[in-house]
Amino acid sequence: CFSTLGSGPHVGDVDELFDVKNAYYIGSYQQCINEAQKVKPSSPEKEVERDMFLYRAYIAQRKYAVVLDDIKSNSAPELQAVKMFADYLANESKRDSIVIDLEKKMAQSVDAANTTFLLMAASIYFHEMNTDAALRTLHQGESLECMAMTIQVLLGLDRVDLARKELKKMQEQDEDATLTQLATAWVNIAVGGEKLQDAYYIFQEMSDKYSSTLLLLNGQAACYMARNKWEEAEGVLQEALDKDSSHPETLINLIVLTQHLGKAPEVTNRYLSQLKDAHRSHPFLKDYFAKENEFNRLAMQYAPTATA
Amino acid sequence: MLTKFETKSARVKGLSFHPKRPWVLASLHNGVIQLWDYRMCTLIDKFDEHDGPVRGIDFHKQQPLFVSGGDDYKIKVWNYKLRRCLFTLLGHLDYIRTTFFHHEYPWILSASDDQTIRIWNWQSRTCVCVLTGHNHYVMCAQFHPSEDLVVSASLDQTVRVWDISGLRKKNLSPGAVETEVRGISGVDLFGASDAVVKHVLEGHDRGVNWAAFHPNLPLIVSGADDRQVKIWRMNDSKAWELDTCRGHYNNVSCAVFHPRQELILSNSEDKSIRVWDMSKRTGVQTFRRDHDRFWVLGAHPNLNLFAAGHDSGMIVFKLERERPAYAVHGNMLYYVKDRYLRQLDFISSKDTAIMQLRSGSKFPVFSMSYNPAENAVLLCNRATNLENSTYDLYSIPKESDSQNPDAPEGKRSSGLTAVWVARNRFAVLDRMHSLLIKNLKNEIVKKVPVQSCEEIFYAGTGSLLLRDADGVTLFDVQQKRSLATVKIAKVKYVVWSADTSHVALLAKHGERKQKPHKYYFHFSQFPRLYFRSSTLFIYGNVSYLIIPVRHRDRTSMRRTTGIHLKQNGTIMICNRKLESLCNIHENIRVKSGAWDESGVFIYTTSNHIKYALISGDHGIIRTLDLPIYVTRVRGNNVYCLDRDCRPRVLTIDPTEYRFKLALVNRKYDEVLHMVRNAKLVGQSIIAYLQKKGYPEVALHFVKDEKTRFSLALECGNIEVALEAAKALDERSCWERLGEAALLQGYHQVVEMCYQRTKNFDKLTFLYLLTGNLAKLRKMMKIAEIRKDMSGHYQAALYLGDVSEMVRILKNCGQKSLAYLTAATHGLDEEAEALKETFDPEKETVPEVDPNAQLLQPPPPINPLDTNWPLLTVSKGFFEGAIASKGKASQMAADVDMDAAGGEGWGDDAELQLDEDGFMDAREGLGDDGLGKEERGGWEVEEDLDLPPELDVPGGAGGGAEDGFFVPPTKGMSPTQMWCNNSQLPVDHILAGSFETAMRLLHDQVGVVNFSPYKSLFMQTLSRGSTCYLGLPSLPCLRGHPQRNWKDCGAKQGLPAVGLRLSDLISRLQQCYQLTTAGRFEEAVERFRTILLSVPLLVVDNKQEIAEAQQLITICREYIVGLTMETERKKLPKDTLEQQKRLCEMAAYFTHCNLQPVHMMLVLRTALNLFFKLGNFKTAASFARRLLELGPRPDVAQQTRKILAACEKTLTDAHQLNYDPHNPFDLCAASFVPLYRGRPVEKCPLSGACYCPPYKGQVCRVTQVTEIGKDVIGLRVSPLQFR
Repeated sequence: CFSTLGSGPHVGDVDELFDVKNAYYIGSYQQCINEAQKVKPSSPEKEVERDMFLYRAYIAQRKYAVVLDDIKSNSAPELQAVKMFADYLANESKRDSIVIDLEKKMAQSVDAANTTFLLMAASIYFHEMNTDAALRTLHQGESLECMAMTIQVLLGLDRVDLARKELKKMQEQDEDATLTQLATAWVNIAVGGEKLQDAYYIFQEMSDKYSSTLLLLNGQAACYMARNKWEEAEGVLQEALDKDSSHPETLINLIVLTQHLGKAPEVTNRYLSQLKDAHRSHPFLKDYFAKENEFNRLAMQYAPTATA
Repeated sequence: MLTKFETKSARVKGLSFHPKRPWVLASLHNGVIQLWDYRMCTLIDKFDEHDGPVRGIDFHKQQPLFVSGGDDYKIKVWNYKLRRCLFTLLGHLDYIRTTFFHHEYPWILSASDDQTIRIWNWQSRTCVCVLTGHNHYVMCAQFHPSEDLVVSASLDQTVRVWDISGLRKKNLSPGAVETEVRGISGVDLFGASDAVVKHVLEGHDRGVNWAAFHPNLPLIVSGADDRQVKIWRMNDSKAWELDTCRGHYNNVSCAVFHPRQELILSNSEDKSIRVWDMSKRTGVQTFRRDHDRFWVLGAHPNLNLFAAGHDSGMIVFKLERERPAYAVHGNMLYYVKDRYLRQLDFISSKDTAIMQLRSGSKFPVFSMSYNPAENAVLLCNRATNLENSTYDLYSIPKESDSQNPDAPEGKRSSGLTAVWVARNRFAVLDRMHSLLIKNLKNEIVKKVPVQSCEEIFYAGTGSLLLRDADGVTLFDVQQKRSLATVKIAKVKYVVWSADTSHVALLAKHGERKQKPHKYYFHFSQFPRLYFRSSTLFIYGNVSYLIIPVRHRDRTSMRRTTGIHLKQNGTIMICNRKLESLCNIHENIRVKSGAWDESGVFIYTTSNHIKYALISGDHGIIRTLDLPIYVTRVRGNNVYCLDRDCRPRVLTIDPTEYRFKLALVNRKYDEVLHMVRNAKLVGQSIIAYLQKKGYPEVALHFVKDEKTRFSLALECGNIEVALEAAKALDERSCWERLGEAALLQGYHQVVEMCYQRTKNFDKLTFLYLLTGNLAKLRKMMKIAEIRKDMSGHYQAALYLGDVSEMVRILKNCGQKSLAYLTAATHGLDEEAEALKETFDPEKETVPEVDPNAQLLQPPPPINPLDTNWPLLTVSKGFFEGAIASKGKASQMAADVDMDAAGGEGWGDDAELQLDEDGFMDAREGLGDDGLGKEERGGWEVEEDLDLPPELDVPGGAGGGAEDGFFVPPTKGMSPTQMWCNNSQLPVDHILAGSFETAMRLLHDQVGVVNFSPYKSLFMQTLSRGSTCYLGLPSLPCLRGHPQRNWKDCGAKQGLPAVGLRLSDLISRLQQCYQLTTAGRFEEAVERFRTILLSVPLLVVDNKQEIAEAQQLITICREYIVGLTMETERKKLPKDTLEQQKRLCEMAAYFTHCNLQPVHMMLVLRTALNLFFKLGNFKTAASFARRLLELGPRPDVAQQTRKILAACEKTLTDAHQLNYDPHNPFDLCAASFVPLYRGRPVEKCPLSGACYCPPYKGQVCRVTQVTEIGKDVIGLRVSPLQFR
């Protein structure tokens, strides 16, 4: 059917794994897994790529065991990298040794064509808060995803200016790609102001076009909240909550939202308790607990001049 | 020009539109008058009585009449309902050129080559006036649409205007009676006075062929052989030539005013139709035909429709498209009307003009695409030459005055079609057949070649439907790939359902020529020679088509005479993947459509509103007089735009399609509800149900036993079938029932059927099968009685009754067989007896086979009394419904029993199925696993070859890049900016900068003990930033909602606070309630939280600053008062001193500023205590204060009693430290009064007062601040820093 459109030259553009990747990036992990199991890759390379997304989708669902069991020592090097990341996330106790291993690997010559390895390595560095190493690693890759991750790291560093530059590169490579769109939304949120509406529409359009996911819904909510549209955000977050009642980012956003809506403190505390219950090691809570300690420490610096 | 309809026939000389029905009359050169339905494209009737060409033709405006005039000098008046000529008016002496009815009077106006114009009364059937004066053929004569005037055109080169008021007066004055008119014999006698020439218009220098009045202006248009169209103006006294339209290069045949626009249409023998601008007198458009000269034009009196007659037929056309450009979003309709973009709110029906369009295009807007995100529209303008088409991109003004809306500057570019594909992208199909993707600035961001694409349509975000010659393709703009294609030609419109799960493609099915069944060529000669303005013309036809009219009835006529171009439509409904779900063909154009909320597609054709289910079921909902364009369907309402762009709402009856939809979805409860509540029952419904495979539903409707019986058999409902069969009691029914029942194992019913049909053979066999030996024996007896030897023997055989068999054989003379049977079975006596009967001479006794075996049917182990076990089948909804209505037959009990027995079967069967399924699944899994392993092994081999090649470039590249990369330093986070931009503590907390926040609170309101603030700090911090997810499995990104996000830019941000003064104020209510309920400690806790929250507010104006202060005061008063009261209740009251202290504290409490409801309680307490103590004077003052507050009646009454008692002895028994007249503050720590002028220390936040010794301690009210601390003061607004 394609020939009827006379777009012969673009046949090469068509990505047979589009649906798999797309589902992964918009956070529709189960769909990504389903699509990956359905698709019939045309070459062994594609097959590896497919598996890479398949296993990463499992990682995103926190089903680390599947990945650790499935990927054997004779699997492709790309998949080994995925396995390394899964291992890192799955075992908090092994993290230090994994990072040391990774450092060793990075010290040797790195296969820059193995984008997956770069991405996985950068992901680990990012989790380690070692943004320098993450950026250095990502700098070696040229794929859209490397750029997208670079943007995410830069935004974490509050370097919106550099993030915009990187985004421009992405847009030059493929403006309409899902990743470019998503990265545009992230940058737009960071830029704020009128760009917030644009960011919102990007998430909205993707949910329209594919399906609404926790990733997209929380993105929409973040846009709404950034524009102080609390009531609208409530609807979106409610939808997210219906999809997964213990999704940490949704809960965090609800903690923000309920206060801005002027709800009773108990409502907010309920979400906080839920978060504490299910995601004790979430960065938000790590921060939160650290802040509590800081508060206690700082409070000790003050005292009344007289006591009763 | 848009051709709506074309016919092929002999030359068309006259045309007339019916004012109301979609009909047009064409009078032909071959003597035939055709009546066409131009909407349905069918020939309705033919009238063939004139001899020779018919030139004049006209519908009557009200009556079912039309008039014709021909070259046979005859004027004929016809009734199209009766389908015959009513009468003929004779009088003219030469060809008749035109015939017209008067719009009001019973008159006919005729123009003839005999140089006269005549007026006839068609009621009296006489000529009432002859207008003489022209001195050549009169080619045309018409009444004025409202005045008593006639205009005529003649080959004598003049146009004349006649005054016929005299005729009207004479004929319609009270005295004028029919007889008087009828009495006229010498019409010439009267003619002169009844009608007089008013104006003679000279200017054409050849013969004039046509003249017509303007519908409401004093204008005349004429067309002549001098190739000119002239416009004339007249007043009461004179008439003069206004202007001439030059352009035709042959004789102008006809010229008419456009009924509603400032246009003139003319046609000519130069084979063209021209449109002229009336005011500019310039040609606007020209339509040429290749071979046919034009002869006549007709304008529809109220629609935008014209007809033109030419050498080989007629065309019905309109000048411009009438489809309004519109788009629907949510509850809003956007549409273009009169150069305005309007917005209609479907719910409130509010219709406003929101924007004025840029002028420039002479064509109406062709189509529209609306972008709700940006509130922008794309308006496409189609030019006659498609390549010149343009589109405009407008941003709709946010606010607009509906009376005089803004005309914003749009962006215009060339392009065939433009539609939005995303919030900030639209696609343009340009004339080079490329797909351009543009942004909001109208800049091209991408170009996709799509060579054969003719048109593009919206297909959801990021997708388009591309139409090529023979199909429609779903195209993903982002991936530049086609996702699906469906074959359907000429799609014109695309309608998506609200959730874009379905799409209706509306196509024009092309113009299909319908071939006539019979036709023949008739060679005929009508050469005609005459002089026209000194030139000799020869008019003649060589040959033309004659259509035989054999059948007089209309239906067959349609079949035999359809030589015309038939236009029709197709609707295809597809799903999101463009898989065709159904295809509907219409014989008439499909105009528009919309999806209703239940997923039914409602569409309109030229004359119907119809529905289509995605199953393909479709039908008519109602008829339409005029085409409409559906915009939305909700419930019974069809919202639409008509051809004048007026929004309308039509009501429809959705019962039929709802019913069908419910059936398709098997929502039988709905079906039943509709059946019971709507008048739906009818043969058509039953036929429909049967056809569509819902016999069980149909069964519910049917009362007729015969239909019931067939339906019951069809759906296998034996019980109902039996019931019906009993009622009918027909042999054929029993036979059919028997067969059906046998298949289902209802052998009792089978038995009954066989009995009823007396089918003994089968009955016998049935008994054998069911092991019913008693009945089998009975059957044998019956057979014997019936003398059915064979049946008798058979039964005996089945029974194994050997002696009976022998007896039968003997009786029927089969002696040998009888003997052998007896001998073989060991009935020796019998055998012997038989043997003796053999005549040894003539007969030989047969030899008994020594190896013969006993032939005996096996005895039944257990006779089968009940029906065969049946699988449990869940009863359908309708069977249940029927049974529940008490229609259950006598069989019911039996059936139930069977069902019970059957369950075992059902279970077993299910179990079996389960096991199978399980087995399959496991096998499947095994296979998969195996396959994977094999492939995995293969991959390893591949891997061995690859690594060395891959390693080299990768390593080098990585190393080279490494050297140049310098990681960026951390930037300034929004939270840091918040701290920089604000001196308000809450902003610092939100930013996570506890240190500075504490410093600010300390400096501003003197907080020294922060622990009570901990939860507030943590809570506030937790609402400072939101989360959004970046790449999967990475820590999330943080958003920072800012209160001044609109205009803060990159540096001036301030956090969204999330704590509003109003929220705090509303929380007071809870505290008040706790107070009322006497839960003082809880109340104090809450008041304190509110109080502590106040320094964490951000407010905008001075009033709010004051309110915040006030809020602190309220909290303080309550906290002090309630704390004191709590304290008081803990105190002992044994001694007088102690009691005095209690009274004092109660008295102080009455000086806290409380709500009246609480103050009354406080006063009552104080009143009681003081009364008991004997301090009547003070008690009385409390009582008065209490009464001032207006307590409940019972309280008031009691208070008055106490007050009266107090007033008897208005003294205080004891001296207390309480002076109600001397103003004091209360020390919040020691609860003693601090009378004015005495030193006092205050809390820097709450303002609570303390005796000086408490200075430096923590405030009892706030529990966080230091008493008497020197501070900046509460800061809750940036205003306080200016």
